[in-house]
Amino acid sequence: MNTFLSDWYYLSIRNIKQIWRPLLALIPSLFIPIFFFFVNSQSLSAFSHVAGFPNVSYKQFIAPVAIFTAIFFSAGNAGIELVQDISNGYLKKLLIMPINRLAILAGKFSEVAVQAVFQGGIVIVLLFIAGVRYNTGILGILASFGILILFAMGWSCISMISALRTQNARLVQSLFVVVFPFLYVTTSQAPINLLPPAFATVARFNPVTYVIEGVRALVLGTWGDPRIWEGFLVSLVFFVVMTSITLVSFQKTLK
Amino acid sequence: MTDAIIQVKDLRKTYAGGTEAVRGVSFDVRKGEFYGFLGPNGAGKTTTINMLVNLVKKTSGTIMIDGIDLDRNPQEVYKRVGFAMQEIGLDETASAREMMQLHGRLYHIPKDRIDSQIAKLLKLVELEKVADRYTSTYSGGMRRRFDLALSLLHEPKILFLDEPTQGLDPHARQLIWGHLRELNKAGMTVFLTTHFMEEAEELCERIAIMDKGQIVTCGTLQELLDEHKVKTLEEVFLKTTGSNLGEEEGNPNATDPYSRNRM
Repeated sequence: MNTFLSDWYYLSIRNIKQIWRPLLALIPSLFIPIFFFFVNSQSLSAFSHVAGFPNVSYKQFIAPVAIFTAIFFSAGNAGIELVQDISNGYLKKLLIMPINRLAILAGKFSEVAVQAVFQGGIVIVLLFIAGVRYNTGILGILASFGILILFAMGWSCISMISALRTQNARLVQSLFVVVFPFLYVTTSQAPINLLPPAFATVARFNPVTYVIEGVRALVLGTWGDPRIWEGFLVSLVFFVVMTSITLVSFQKTLK
Repeated sequence: MTDAIIQVKDLRKTYAGGTEAVRGVSFDVRKGEFYGFLGPNGAGKTTTINMLVNLVKKTSGTIMIDGIDLDRNPQEVYKRVGFAMQEIGLDETASAREMMQLHGRLYHIPKDRIDSQIAKLLKLVELEKVADRYTSTYSGGMRRRFDLALSLLHEPKILFLDEPTQGLDPHARQLIWGHLRELNKAGMTVFLTTHFMEEAEELCERIAIMDKGQIVTCGTLQELLDEHKVKTLEEVFLKTTGSNLGEEEGNPNATDPYSRNRM
């Protein structure tokens, strides 16, 4: 097997095992998206009767936000674990092995992706029980995983860059809250035509808007909806840009 | 020196900010030799050993390990060296066995060989019974012993040890010394940094004393005593560095002033 692939595989297995250790740590990241979904779908359900709102239930409308949040929560652990590896010296052990250093980063992405599928999958099942349906079917679910996992891997780079630059666990952990402005200044709660103009302008520059709209199009729309491809493209560009910055940080830290 | 397995010439390290941690160090280590770097805390020992395994980028100088230029082919060097670091560095979310299995695979050791190596090394460091426990549950001595076993998994030609018995009680220290003697007897080259006089005397065939980033004297224990016309290694140390190890040990912050820059 190619050295990179083999190193990636074994480091991925190591990182994926960390997802379940401890298992209880997974509960909040599953509970919070579902909690907000039920609270918002009840308290804001009248919003769906406002003129200009799409002809769907509010529950159906905000379902992508619950999936996004669940998958997003998988992104923060990579940085926290990296800072642990740095502070206890384990990363140094990896660095003096004859392994491809890119595999260390790729192994972190594997962990984010597996956790995203696990958490996103559970939330989708719970949403299904609550009556939410994907118009684009199983393939639509897979496509939304594609969009969201790319974005989550890109977002995990923020915590990894912070881990590499600061080596401070508290700071990396506190970055978790940064998602909220990104999540709420979007079309997560209402379509863009119903947002105040200034709010709508900011939302148009927020990449999370395109990611949520992409998944929303897969839930509510059809395969011809351009928002799907926009969402995919934004996630891909975000992933590539953030990965490049992380690689530079990685190299700088090792100098 | 024709049988040198480590050759270092004019090695220097200046950290950002201008601190000169290592200032033109040159030495050779012979194949199968037990070679020690002795010096007070902050002398540049850890920076030097970290440069030898490429964890710290040198500012200038050359490092040849088993005939390989570290700059040109670090991956080949990594296959030949094992390193037990001062800070140990274990994955605390894994058991000892899991860590060894992972490392074996990352070193591309055949699976059956990994299993036999794990059994042999865990027995050597007397950790067979706790091999399936998370390493976070280990005592300081167990962590040191396991780290030693881990660094030997791929059967390196050279073992680098940075303060391998720091923080250990006398019993655990004797145990580690016994393992190191056995490994060296079996032909392994050992490069050790320490600030324990007794450790250097007990284990090392040749001792280099380092101070303020430079080697101030080097030789066998007898050569050092003869050269400096004294009776103990401590006297050689005091004469060459002018410092007292006991005082240095009293300052925990002096352990590694460059730790933030070393990654």
